[in-house]
Amino acid sequence: MDFAWDEQQAAFRSTVRDFLAANLPAGWERIAHGPGSEAQTQFSKDFCAKLAKTGLLVPHWPARWGGRDADPWISFILAEEMWAVGEPRGGQYMNVNWIGPTLMKFGSKAQQDRYIPPMAQGDTLWCQGFSEPEAGSDLASLRTRAEKHGASYKINGQKIWTSYAGAADTCFLLARTAPGKNGISIFLVPMATPGITVRNIPSIIGEGDIHEVFFDDVEVPETAILGGEGEAWNIVRTALSLERVGIPRFALAWRMLDRVVAALKKADRFSSAACIDAARARAACEVARLYSYQIVDQRRHGTPTGPEASAARVATVSCERLVADFVVEHQPDALAGGDPMLLAHHQRAIVAGIASGAAEIQLNLVASELLGLPREPR
Amino acid sequence: MDLRLTPDQKDLLTAINGLVAPFQAKPIDFHGFALVSNELEQQLEAAEFFDIAATPGLGSVGAALAVERIARLPYAAEVALSMLVRPHVLTEWPRPFALVENGRPGRFVASAKTLLIANGETFSVALARPDAVQSVESIYGYPMAKLVSPLEGKPLSAQQASDARKWLRVALAAEAAGLIQAALEATVAHLSVRKQFGRPLGTFQALRHRLAECAVLAGGVKWLALKAASTGDEGDAALAAFHAQDSATRVAYDMHQMLGAMGMTLEHPLHLWTYRLKALLSDLGGRGAQAHAVARHCFT
Repeated sequence: MDFAWDEQQAAFRSTVRDFLAANLPAGWERIAHGPGSEAQTQFSKDFCAKLAKTGLLVPHWPARWGGRDADPWISFILAEEMWAVGEPRGGQYMNVNWIGPTLMKFGSKAQQDRYIPPMAQGDTLWCQGFSEPEAGSDLASLRTRAEKHGASYKINGQKIWTSYAGAADTCFLLARTAPGKNGISIFLVPMATPGITVRNIPSIIGEGDIHEVFFDDVEVPETAILGGEGEAWNIVRTALSLERVGIPRFALAWRMLDRVVAALKKADRFSSAACIDAARARAACEVARLYSYQIVDQRRHGTPTGPEASAARVATVSCERLVADFVVEHQPDALAGGDPMLLAHHQRAIVAGIASGAAEIQLNLVASELLGLPREPR
Repeated sequence: MDLRLTPDQKDLLTAINGLVAPFQAKPIDFHGFALVSNELEQQLEAAEFFDIAATPGLGSVGAALAVERIARLPYAAEVALSMLVRPHVLTEWPRPFALVENGRPGRFVASAKTLLIANGETFSVALARPDAVQSVESIYGYPMAKLVSPLEGKPLSAQQASDARKWLRVALAAEAAGLIQAALEATVAHLSVRKQFGRPLGTFQALRHRLAECAVLAGGVKWLALKAASTGDEGDAALAAFHAQDSATRVAYDMHQMLGAMGMTLEHPLHLWTYRLKALLSDLGGRGAQAHAVARHCFT
């Protein structure tokens, strides 16, 4: 057991930091405030293109697709450094982490040729059409349906809470082709297809972040299906296993905590009470980090990821909450005209237990799979 | 970064598991608080487990793993200071050890051969004398005693004192990790078999979520302890001790709540772990002191 970075890992982190120092403009922290805004979407396209040119967009992808087969630590270090400065890749992190790799595994040659190169060049944004008004944690109950008519499908239904839908080029869409959990299929749908309507939902979490997406007789060719009919559940499970540790949220929380503590110390306002709160938040960040590292380490060594991934998520939610509360209590202008990055962090932190699935589901998984408690009756 | 146990560390855990197997259960007729075993102590000594930290391939991480594992037993044994503090600060002194902090009762003080005496920020070390210590009745789950006459101690230098404090923090965190884990396992066992309203308590979400949160805390305490043992960093040690004490308060209460009246009995072993945790809460100045150390070493 060794908690030190090896030379290659340390050098890679330095390379990423140098890149960020050279390429994040002075006003970046104001842009970071709107993760789905026009300003950030445009910024991210330019930024990701630069990352791609430097070989820092998809280093963990196979060489065939523009990467260099780097190990999971490299992609996680990259993700940490990006998230720590407010994720300048915007919604493109999804391409890098799981949409691209999922298409590599399950996509047809035509799908791969069409969709993967723009991802590797940092030139495209996707959205994830999963949640519906009646299907959140109980995703298998989704109702959006795709009916086959000859060589095409007609899609009708509604998605909600869809991040980046307003600016996305393509949707990774779940729709029902038959009843039951095994009747769900994945469609790769260009957002410009006639019949798709996107409505922004004003929210407390930043400009342009969440949307409703309506599908009215949206016609897509049968070649738009990923895998085959009814394959969604298996594919999504694999896709999510690529994304099991998810976003390294602790990295930004950690940096914001450091920033506020430094300000309090400088102003001689670091009271004993603040000191205990800060220690608690710092411990939570470190715990979330180590749980996440455990998963990355398992992936690095080809060990199947266990229920520790759920524990990592729970720990991450806890650190986000503790840091966000610390900031609001000890640096209240964060939400009132103060440091825009503290506001951006707050807006990301507040959804930590909701985005990518309710944390309560993870608590149930910890209870059943990590602790071995008997399952709830259904 | 490699978070797998090394083959040596795995072998160590296998060996310890074998050694402690006969000590896994609380004797059915024991209805007290300080459950100790000379046999366990002798076997650990004979197997040279107190020298783990100095063994190549095992190191302080191996020692922390051992402390955590042994702390899960219903028996209390002085292993944390011997395994994690002695190799760094007290190499010349005979074990077992005990910490006497600001004159108050401490665990293993009556059986220790060497006392580490803390007064405020200063430390001294002294050979124990039977006439200088007095046992104290306690429900803390450890044999408790206090120093009743002053001992001529050898003062530690500022650097030694700082090292002592650091490794005491690591020792505290590793021991707490094991205690929390044992209490958690006992609670899982109870919730899995105890039925109310026709089904096991562990199927009720109110308890499942609460216990899952405790499990995440427990894992976190262990991770921070192992990291601190590995790096030997002041900040990591302070953070590990802080998180251990901070989590212990919540976990001990929740476990007792979930075991209900059964956890109040001396027949069930839960109190052995939870009241040991309570004994650790005030160590080294408690959470407040650890938080100040975190502030000093982690927020620079």
